[in-house]
Amino acid sequence: MEIKIMKNVLDRNKNKANEVRNLLKEKNVLMVNMISSPGAGKTTLLEKTLENLKDKFRIGVIEGDITTDRDAQRLKGHGVPIVVINTEGGCHLDSHSISKVLPEFDLENMDVIFVENVGNLVCPSHFDLGETFKLALVSTTEGDDKPIKYPMLFREAKIILLNKIDLIEYTNFNKASFHVDLNNVNGKVPLMEISCTRNIGMDKWYNWISKQISSK
Amino acid sequence: MHELKIAEELIGIITEVAKSENLKKVTKVNIQFGKMIMIVPDVFRFVFEGGVKGTVAKSAKLNLEILPVKFACNKCKEETEIDDLLFVCPYCGSNDLDLTQGRETIIESIEGEKC
Ligand SMILES: Nc1nc2c(ncn2[C@@H]2O[C@H](COP(=O)(O)OP(=O)(O)OP(=O)(O)O)[C@@H](O)[C@H]2O)c(=O)[nH]1
Ligand SMILES: [Mg+2]
Ligand SMILES: [Zn+2]
Repeated sequence: MEIKIMKNVLDRNKNKANEVRNLLKEKNVLMVNMISSPGAGKTTLLEKTLENLKDKFRIGVIEGDITTDRDAQRLKGHGVPIVVINTEGGCHLDSHSISKVLPEFDLENMDVIFVENVGNLVCPSHFDLGETFKLALVSTTEGDDKPIKYPMLFREAKIILLNKIDLIEYTNFNKASFHVDLNNVNGKVPLMEISCTRNIGMDKWYNWISKQISSK
Repeated sequence: MHELKIAEELIGIITEVAKSENLKKVTKVNIQFGKMIMIVPDVFRFVFEGGVKGTVAKSAKLNLEILPVKFACNKCKEETEIDDLLFVCPYCGSNDLDLTQGRETIIESIEGEKC
């Protein structure tokens, strides 16, 4: 006999994500889900962003890390609340782990929570955390073919940052073909070229994210 | 390896339904995944077979259908199915599109024998 089910296999994650989203909305907190390959520069971007915006906004950070708290250590000096989620081998965060750590933040007095997801371009893009939006970070040292190879992320992201622009001349990263591919996958998403370490294009990013936080 | 997590959730649903429906054996599982989910079918089968060991679905056949990507154009309202992942409307060239299919992770049904 056949039993009809017709259900989303990821319902449990989706439902919890919606709970998180409703809570954040009620508390008026923006949540940014930061997704990139390992080493593209998520933690560096956070370091710079905290440095620049921590006096202007009340910021919190969730660090998704497979086993360590190395990234959290790097951010500690900024005096903003940081919570580490160790995924114990898992290649992505999910809404249940986010929901579990949210009580550690004083949400009444918070403007934005940045979530550094586990470094990976595939898995994190399939698990809704309840975030306000996803940010995709790519770097010039990983090749220009990422939008075509990982279309889900590039379609879902609200902003794309191309980092390590200072290194582009040492790589074979072809900006024109990156733009063509990105345009084919998602012609509407804003793209910013930055270098976190050389401070190139960062003001544009600070302005953009400030606007998102202010208009939430 | 999002295949692993998806398989875990799937097996959870199967065993729950099998229990409430009093199945002694699940023989077939019918699922549909959108192409955008980027499941590698062989990897999925492998983790599924590992996960159902010792459960009511241990000998279940996995019937996995991959759904193509479809989008609706917000400009000319046409719907298009694509097999390359080129998100540009072939009718009017617009890239203002809404995905209408391709992100599913659906369990349609299970087949089995009653106790
Ligand atoms: N040249 C250059 N190096 C950068 C830039 N941004 C980051 N890096 C370096 O890239 C390396 C990795 O940066 P992280 O910020 O740790 O990358 P991540 O994405 O957090 O890495 P995981 O957490 O392991 O996924 C570090 O050595 C950074 O100093 C940049 O704009 N230019
Ligand atoms: Mg990091
Ligand atoms: Zn059109």
